[in-house]
Amino acid sequence: MTSPRQRAIAEFILDHLVWFMLAVVLIAFSIFVPNFFQIGIFANIVEQSTFVGVMAIGLAIVIIAGHMDLSVESTAALAAMITGILFCSRGIGMGLTLTPEWLVIPVSLIISLAVGGLIGCLNGVFTIRLRMNAFIVTLASYIWVRGLVVAVSGGRSAQDLAPSLRIVGIQQLLYVPLIAWIAILCFIVFSFIMQRTPFGRHITLIGGNAVAAFRAGIKVDRLMFISFILAGAIAGLAGWLLAIRTSGATANLGTGMLFNAFAAVVIGGVSLKGGVGKLPGVYAGVLLLSSIHTAINLMGLPAHYTQVILGLLVLAAVLLDTLKLQIRQRFA
Amino acid sequence: MSFPTLLELDDIRMNFGAIEALRGVSFKVGKGEVVALLGDNGAGKSTLVKIISGGLKASAGRMVFDGEERFFPTPAEAKAQGIETVYQDLSLCTNVDVVGNFFMGREMVKTWLGFIPVLREKEMEAVVAQALKNAGTRIPSLRTNVEHLSGGQRQAIELNRFAHWGGKLVLLDEPFAALGVEQTRRGLDLIRRIAGQGIGVIVITHIMQQAFQVADRIVVIRQGRVAGDVPTGDTSPDKVVGLITGEAVIGQAQETRPNGPIH
Repeated sequence: MTSPRQRAIAEFILDHLVWFMLAVVLIAFSIFVPNFFQIGIFANIVEQSTFVGVMAIGLAIVIIAGHMDLSVESTAALAAMITGILFCSRGIGMGLTLTPEWLVIPVSLIISLAVGGLIGCLNGVFTIRLRMNAFIVTLASYIWVRGLVVAVSGGRSAQDLAPSLRIVGIQQLLYVPLIAWIAILCFIVFSFIMQRTPFGRHITLIGGNAVAAFRAGIKVDRLMFISFILAGAIAGLAGWLLAIRTSGATANLGTGMLFNAFAAVVIGGVSLKGGVGKLPGVYAGVLLLSSIHTAINLMGLPAHYTQVILGLLVLAAVLLDTLKLQIRQRFA
Repeated sequence: MSFPTLLELDDIRMNFGAIEALRGVSFKVGKGEVVALLGDNGAGKSTLVKIISGGLKASAGRMVFDGEERFFPTPAEAKAQGIETVYQDLSLCTNVDVVGNFFMGREMVKTWLGFIPVLREKEMEAVVAQALKNAGTRIPSLRTNVEHLSGGQRQAIELNRFAHWGGKLVLLDEPFAALGVEQTRRGLDLIRRIAGQGIGVIVITHIMQQAFQVADRIVVIRQGRVAGDVPTGDTSPDKVVGLITGEAVIGQAQETRPNGPIH
């Protein structure tokens, strides 16, 4: 038998494994990769983590609830494109202006959230109301929403976003641009919601055993629906941030982010079985991926290696998950 | 002993396609009465429990609960009206800790800034600790996820949960399947204690001895019908086994239910 204290320590380490991994990786890179140990580099890692990070929040919530949302990347692209078309002044941009000028920030944000929420709502209708498989439904959304992005843009791009919106992307606070702070704020808010509110508790319960939750009087379908809308709206936010960062939108904006988001979610300790995982861990997963990206860039390795390493990392994360289970059983 | 009627089932029928799981079941449960529901595998006991608790919709028949004729569309509705159910397959979320499971769907909440609902974790933990202590159940840490607990401990959580929330009627579908001798004894005590508070109890069991220990009345279901409905004091395990397998003196069953749906 192990003492409760030992057990508590083991549990703590297992629960926060990804943070330890992040620390180890950062220390290792700082020592072995030339020029890695600089404030600018760390700030860059945080900034890079913005878009995949925000997207991963919604994805993680849906996965914790026991479902799947493959559409987040395309949804973000659609929100970015619509923001671009409305508020860019060159390319296919319509150059819409509002008075006072700052009004552009809330208006474009609300539009992005609404676009994302709408896609999420459609996913919800098919999976919850019509009882279709979430994987297939959101795979379809992943395809048709991206198609819609290409269609509305005609394959062309929008450039020169309204200056008052650009400020959000340029303005820095403690070496880190505002958009990255927005991502961090999102992580804090949604971590709180998942950990401390009945909504988060119920989502976790549903992911663990939907039948038990239903018997206990929890409105399973309603909450599932909300989590899909939430994932969509958060993806919309990610798209809004992307449009600001790139000062516009292209038809292929954000391609490949889904897989990064997925990798981050899995590395962050969220189980695809549902019910297991915490959002701070997901953020650590995103930071870990960005650190590796940055280190590879600094070392001058061809970018393709990033993908190889990413794939191995995901495998390692899943392997670790099984190992964790075995260690836990030994301590239980 | 007579009990004021709490639940009355009248000619409940349930078809799954062409299969008739229940072919007209009628019996009553009184306030503070413990009814043991016995029957062979596939006799329709679990189906009946699901119909009472809102998990299934009966094909035909009437149910009167607490003076009102109605069926419950969902378990949530049944629960809101005071029907607690402990299912054969436990209704626990193993990915969440003991406290989270105990309060599943009924979390204690405080409000921040007037609109943000926040879980009252400390208060909930204290309530669970007290409830488990009263019941004599020992679980090392209430913050352990249920997946790390033994089968007996899980069942204890489930039993204590329904005992704590009470209600008007409690349905137990083979609640002692995974319990040891001592825990079963405590479980049976718990059932008597609940009934003592005026709560009606229906307990499904396979174990004759338990039924005789705890029940005021024994109802036997056979092939979707009530094959016997007798006060525990007026019968014997042998007779009940006869009713379950169908070798019974039909006369006795008819005596207690003259209008019962028995051939």
